[in-house]
Amino acid sequence: MASDEFHRLALEHLDALYNFAMYLTRNPPEADDLVQETYLRAFRFSHRFQPGTHLRAWLFQILRNTFLTFYRLREREAALAEDGVPTWDVPMFHDAPEESSGAVEAHTDLERALMRLPEEFRTVLLLAEVEGMALEDVARVLSCPVGTVKSRIFRAKERLRGLLQDYTKK
Amino acid sequence: MSGEHSPDSDEVLGTRLRAELTRYSAPTGLRAAITQSGAPAPRRPWLAPVLAAAATALALGLVFLLVGPQMVPADPAERLVRSVVAEHTRALMWGARRPEVIPTALPWLTQESGIGLKQVFAGDDRLQFSGAEPVYLEGHRGIALHYRDADGHLVSYVVLPIAGFPVPDRRRIQIERGTNRWRPALMHDSGFSAWVWRQGELACFLVSDMVSDDDVERFKDYFVRVRVSTDPVPAR
Repeated sequence: MASDEFHRLALEHLDALYNFAMYLTRNPPEADDLVQETYLRAFRFSHRFQPGTHLRAWLFQILRNTFLTFYRLREREAALAEDGVPTWDVPMFHDAPEESSGAVEAHTDLERALMRLPEEFRTVLLLAEVEGMALEDVARVLSCPVGTVKSRIFRAKERLRGLLQDYTKK
Repeated sequence: MSGEHSPDSDEVLGTRLRAELTRYSAPTGLRAAITQSGAPAPRRPWLAPVLAAAATALALGLVFLLVGPQMVPADPAERLVRSVVAEHTRALMWGARRPEVIPTALPWLTQESGIGLKQVFAGDDRLQFSGAEPVYLEGHRGIALHYRDADGHLVSYVVLPIAGFPVPDRRRIQIERGTNRWRPALMHDSGFSAWVWRQGELACFLVSDMVSDDDVERFKDYFVRVRVSTDPVPAR
């Protein structure tokens, strides 16, 4: 596939990728960086993309992997406070806090509840339900079997329902 | 069945997610920035000779890399041991990110790591449990439990879900304790020792900085303590 054509096709998914990045990072400048890095990688490795396969899923996969490696790495570094003493409450895999500084404020209970889900649950709901991806494509993005995707969707919805009920009671 | 959905059914929840979540659009400047970064550079007359020189240098570099020592081990077991040692070093320097107490943390750990622990070594008079955390190594989610012995050696037990993980046969060492007999491989990387073995579909590692002959004997004992009392399984 010609480079210009590849760039054009890839950029058709910019808004969807940015939306996904926003829900992963909850921070516009970080979402910008994440999407830019995703496209840089996609352009650099465009020769690895197999024409005929799902470009959209491939780009989402790059974005998520970039998020996991780069942003999680930074999260690890942030766990060390300025005085060199570790701050123990910054886990790698965690239920996200309800709000954090610089983060985009959630507008509804549903958004608040979604933001509190662990990344893998949030991602699977965003891809399958919000982006409407086929389970096979979601599995490709997450690098796991389709069965795992199904069970994660089920568990994610259960957790989301529980959180929504908490908000209703409040 | 009535065909109607309850207010919080899967279908309704899916519809709500599609309809109610804010849809963020990429800022206008982002598209331009990406297009610019991906665009080919304008042609320059002096570029060809510079590129030719760079290509020559690259070719020489490649020859050096092929002939010289390999930086990344080609053997999958060695590569994994290097990653596990790096994780151990991180824990050694900064401690577990979230030192959880066994067994209260087990459900959380299982959920986050994809590894269940039917039975777990929670420490004893020789090895004190110091923390547990999920890890992400070489593309695999896993679990790490950290212990500290009386002399201050940190001992990290790491489990990763790698079906058919090849334990290097030539480095296997027989360890017997009572009626139990195991043959884990003893590997070394960056001044650390690692017991490597397979348990079902899981690759298991026990890492420490105990490398001298005396230390290795003690390290064997630690292996037995952990191996006998810990039973990891992939969480389905």
